[in-house]
Amino acid sequence: MSTASSPKEAGLQKDANRQKEHRLVNTTEPNLLEETFDYGLPPLIKFDGPIIEHIDGEPIEFDPTLAKHRDIHITDTTFRDGQQARPPYTIGQMVHLYDLMSKLGGPNGVIRQTEFFLYTKNDRETLDRCRELGHRYPECTGWIRAVKSDFRLVKEAGLKETGMLTSSSDYHIFNKLKFKSRQECMDSYCEVVDAAFEAGVRPRCHLEDITRADFDGFVLPFVDRLMRMSEQVPEDQSVKIRICDTMGFGVHYPGVELPRSVPKIIYKLNQECGVPSDRLEWHGHNDFHRVHANGASAWLYGCDALNGTMFGYGERCGNPPVEGAIIEYISLKEDLCGIQTEVITEMAEYMRSIGFPIPENYPLVGKHFNTTRAGIHAGGLRSDERIYNIFDTAKLLGRPPRVALTDKSGADGVAHWVNEYFELKEDARISKIKCHKVARWVMDQYEVDGRMTAISDEELEDKVRELMPEYYEKYKGALV
Amino acid sequence: MASVEDRVKEVTARVLKLDSNEIQPQQSFTEDLGAESVQSIELVAMFEEEFGIEMDEEAALSVSNVSDAAEFIAKVCKEQGVEA
Repeated sequence: MSTASSPKEAGLQKDANRQKEHRLVNTTEPNLLEETFDYGLPPLIKFDGPIIEHIDGEPIEFDPTLAKHRDIHITDTTFRDGQQARPPYTIGQMVHLYDLMSKLGGPNGVIRQTEFFLYTKNDRETLDRCRELGHRYPECTGWIRAVKSDFRLVKEAGLKETGMLTSSSDYHIFNKLKFKSRQECMDSYCEVVDAAFEAGVRPRCHLEDITRADFDGFVLPFVDRLMRMSEQVPEDQSVKIRICDTMGFGVHYPGVELPRSVPKIIYKLNQECGVPSDRLEWHGHNDFHRVHANGASAWLYGCDALNGTMFGYGERCGNPPVEGAIIEYISLKEDLCGIQTEVITEMAEYMRSIGFPIPENYPLVGKHFNTTRAGIHAGGLRSDERIYNIFDTAKLLGRPPRVALTDKSGADGVAHWVNEYFELKEDARISKIKCHKVARWVMDQYEVDGRMTAISDEELEDKVRELMPEYYEKYKGALV
Repeated sequence: MASVEDRVKEVTARVLKLDSNEIQPQQSFTEDLGAESVQSIELVAMFEEEFGIEMDEEAALSVSNVSDAAEFIAKVCKEQGVEA
C-alpha cells in the first residue's frame, strides 16, 4: 500500500493551473544565499507574507515583519522557575549569574527583567546584592502567591513590580486552590491586585494553566476586569499579563482551537481585551518539545515579552531557553543590538562548574553542539567551515567547530582536530599527510583493538604529543 | 640503485602489507591493491620519507596507480633537486 499522500489527502485542492515547470538555473558560481546566511550572525529570519489565522470565522492577518521594529524583549525566571527544578543556588552563584545575564543582554535591555523569590532571608539578601551591582538591566522583580499579606514582602524589598499567581484553569481554581466558584476565585485575585495598587506595586498576573482553561468562561472576563481596574492607576502600575503555558499544551501553528492556540490566546487578549503588547508576556514549558517555537511565535503574534530561563532549566521539562531566545531575537532583528553572545558560553561554563549538567548535544552550549564525527563532514569543514557550521561560532560563541574522532572520522577528521588543537588557520594548517601517524593510531583503536567509544580530547592530546613531537614543541611548547 | 618505480613498489608493499613482486605498474592503489582512506595518506607520507621530498597533498592524492606515482615522484624529485 502506498504511503505517499496526494495534495488532496494533505488537505489541498489539486489545481492543474498551479503546476509549473521548474528549470535549472545553471551557474559556475555558487549562490550561498548570504543575505540570509550571513556567517557573522545567526541565520536571519526573513518573511515574505503575512501569517493568516482564522479567528471566530474571520481570517486575521498577522504581519510578522513588525516584530523587527517592535520592542520585543526577553524576561528571565532562572532564579524562580529555574530554581524550582534544582537544588537552591547559593547567593554568590545567583549574583554571579545575574551579573553575566546583564552582560549578555547588553545595554539595550534585551534581557529586560528577572524575577526573585522574596520569602527567605537568603532570597532577600540575593536581591539586595544583585541590585547593589547597579545594573539597569535586567530589572529585578518579585514573585509572590496571590495572597494580600505577601505584599508586605514586595514593599519591604522596594520592588516596583511583582508577579503573582492567578491560575486560570478549573484544574487549579477548583482542584488545587479549592475555590467554591469561579466568581469567588476572580474576586479573590482582584482583591490582591487591589492590594498591589494600594502598595504602589505593579501587579503582573500569572495566568497559570491558561492553555487548559475555559477561555471564554473565565480568562477573557477576568482579563476584562483587570483592564478595567488598571484604568484607575497610572500606566506604569497597570496590570501586566503573563500567559503561562504551565503544562506545555500550547501550539504555535495556525488552525488550532482555543485554549491551546498560541495565536488565538494572544490575539484575544491583545485585541479583544485590549491588553497592549508591552503588557503581555509568554511563559512556556517544554513538555511537548514546543517551548522555543511557542515562545518565539508569541513575539510574532503580538506579545512583546518572552519569559525563559538560562539553558531552559525549569519545572519538569523546563522553560524557553533564554540563549535560544537571544539567537532568535538577533535573527529577527538582523542585528546584535548590543547583545554579547559570547557570554552564553561563559554562563554555560559557569553552570557546569557548579554542577549543572548540560547535555553534550544541547544547542549552542553542549560540548558537542558544533562537533562533527563523520570524516566526510570533517573534509567539508577543512575546505570551508561554513559547510557544517551554523554560523561563525568562534566569533559569536568563542567555540570554533570541532571534530570528534571515531572510526568514521578519517584522515580529514584527524587533520581538522589537530589544526584546531594547535589553533592553526589557513596556510599555516598542517596537511593530513603530516597527521598520518595519529590517523593510523585512531583507526587501529577500532580495527585492531575493537574500541566502541569516541576518542577523548585528552587521549588525542597525548597522541599528538607522542606522534607529532616536532609540531607539539613548535605550537604547544616543551614536551616535558 | 633501484628505480623509482621499484622503490614505489617496496613502499606500497610495506604500507599495504603485500608482496612487492606481485605489484604491477598499472595497478590502482585503491581498487586493485585495496588501499583504504588512511592508507592512502600513509602511502603519500611514506613516499615523502623514502624520497626526501614534500608533495602537494591534493596532487599526490589524485595519483591513482603505481606507474603514475613513480612518474609524479620523479617529477617532484627533479623540481626539488633531490636525486631519485
